[in-house]
Amino acid sequence: MTRESPAGEGTVKCVVWDIDNTLLTGIYLEAGDQPPGADPVLTTVLAELGERGILHALASKNPPEAAAHTARVTGWRFAAAECGWGRKSDALARIAATLGIGVDALAFVDDDPFERAEVGFALPGVLVLSPEDAAEAPGWPEFSPPVITPEARRRAEMYAERQRRQAAERSFGGTKEEFLETVGTRVTIAAATAADVPRLHELAARTRQFNSVAGQPPATGAGPAAGMTQDWFRGLLAAGDCDVATVRLRDAFGDDGLVGACVVMREAGIWTVPLLMMSCRAMGRGVIDALLAWLVRQAARAGARRLRIPCVANTRNVPLRLALAAAGFRVPEAAGTAGQGTAGQGTAGQGTAGRGPEGGEAGGGNATSGQVPAVFERDVGTALPVLPGWVEAPGEQGGDAA
Amino acid sequence: MSGTGPGMGARPARHDTGGTGPPGGTGPPGGTGPPGGTGPPGGADVAAITDDLRAFLAAATGRDELLRIPPAAALFGTAVGLDSLTGTLLLREIQRRLGVDVAGEDLNMDSLATLGTLAEFVAQRIKPGGSP
Repeated sequence: MTRESPAGEGTVKCVVWDIDNTLLTGIYLEAGDQPPGADPVLTTVLAELGERGILHALASKNPPEAAAHTARVTGWRFAAAECGWGRKSDALARIAATLGIGVDALAFVDDDPFERAEVGFALPGVLVLSPEDAAEAPGWPEFSPPVITPEARRRAEMYAERQRRQAAERSFGGTKEEFLETVGTRVTIAAATAADVPRLHELAARTRQFNSVAGQPPATGAGPAAGMTQDWFRGLLAAGDCDVATVRLRDAFGDDGLVGACVVMREAGIWTVPLLMMSCRAMGRGVIDALLAWLVRQAARAGARRLRIPCVANTRNVPLRLALAAAGFRVPEAAGTAGQGTAGQGTAGQGTAGRGPEGGEAGGGNATSGQVPAVFERDVGTALPVLPGWVEAPGEQGGDAA
Repeated sequence: MSGTGPGMGARPARHDTGGTGPPGGTGPPGGTGPPGGTGPPGGADVAAITDDLRAFLAAATGRDELLRIPPAAALFGTAVGLDSLTGTLLLREIQRRLGVDVAGEDLNMDSLATLGTLAEFVAQRIKPGGSP
């Protein structure tokens, strides 16, 4: 077994299950009129992991009816199902894309050693398990998120809402902005409270695509951080020299709860955001753009000249870099030097922090190699960005939610 | 200037595990960089790449009108309205089909200013012979 692949607590966001002789106690197509029942042990594993906010999906070499049957006998609503006769690694890649999570946030359970080997070879970041391994999985750290928040408990439901939202968006004729407006998108920015701390910690631990520090705790006035623990966030809330802002998201399809946050340090003339993070579930829904626009407007109102967002750029947080570029943020040292990217040998980050690129040899092929520290900045004095009317935020008209 | 970003060294096209290979498959019309092609030395035909990018953009956004945008169209502006989601889809497609890791080579994403600047950027980095 290959359980050493991803390290750390709660790294698995979705378990992809085989059906025949895994979740079912036999082979669906060979059972005639009486399809096999659910494996009782694995059915309890489904429920136990589901309670922790871990999603479940199916990948099976079967007709789609097998997935419907499996959902019925296990009593579980699967977030995605891939039925067909292609490679399972392809099925897993499609499931990850459908759910908007990284492939390395998946675990895969199959009784067939060939399928396990195929997935393990094609997608080395996936945690590959036999059904026997899976029965013990609830005791493993990869399946044990440090905290379980209301957002986590509702996760399966929110992914179902997400699928309905995506279907509606595909059949919608207009622009993205018109769609967001039509479905009653509501983004609420507010000052963080003590009740938000578990979710802030969870976001810090789970977000990759929209995480400015790539999981490494930033230096703040709250003192040295062994990690972005709940205590660390409590310290930030108590500290006088920084603010923590939260972002909540809902629309007609459902309430996604607290999906993002940032830490803001205000100094004379310059505002710095040592931490910026957002759930990938909120991707493509105008949230990160609204948060960046609000930060720029707030800084301008306070008389600051520049807004700085120190980042650790890597291959995972490219979506965040796209949002920063779209919002007019640039790394001054790298301006006009296309070609010096995140390949590890770029000069962009040198001198910015004491931390060098980690394992950044080009060609390493590892998705997390090439950590390039870089400070994204923009002027805030001119050409203030527009905030859509569906954003409610402190200092904005109709806002003052804090 | 390096040709390889971290995402495309030992494991090119991570999401395309079948190893279906670069151009020549079911790529958009007017595929770029034909082996032994006639493009300018060290680069590929910018016009053909511009067409490829239009097709990627239309697919990423589901908006067919993007098949007709001019090279001067600003990608982040209102005309195209590229955001982090559609931008990620676009960059993934460029890496998969054309073998160029834009995010790995352009920290500031200045290459995404307009359709034309992106086409130039990609054209300069497509290896002769069209391989990733």
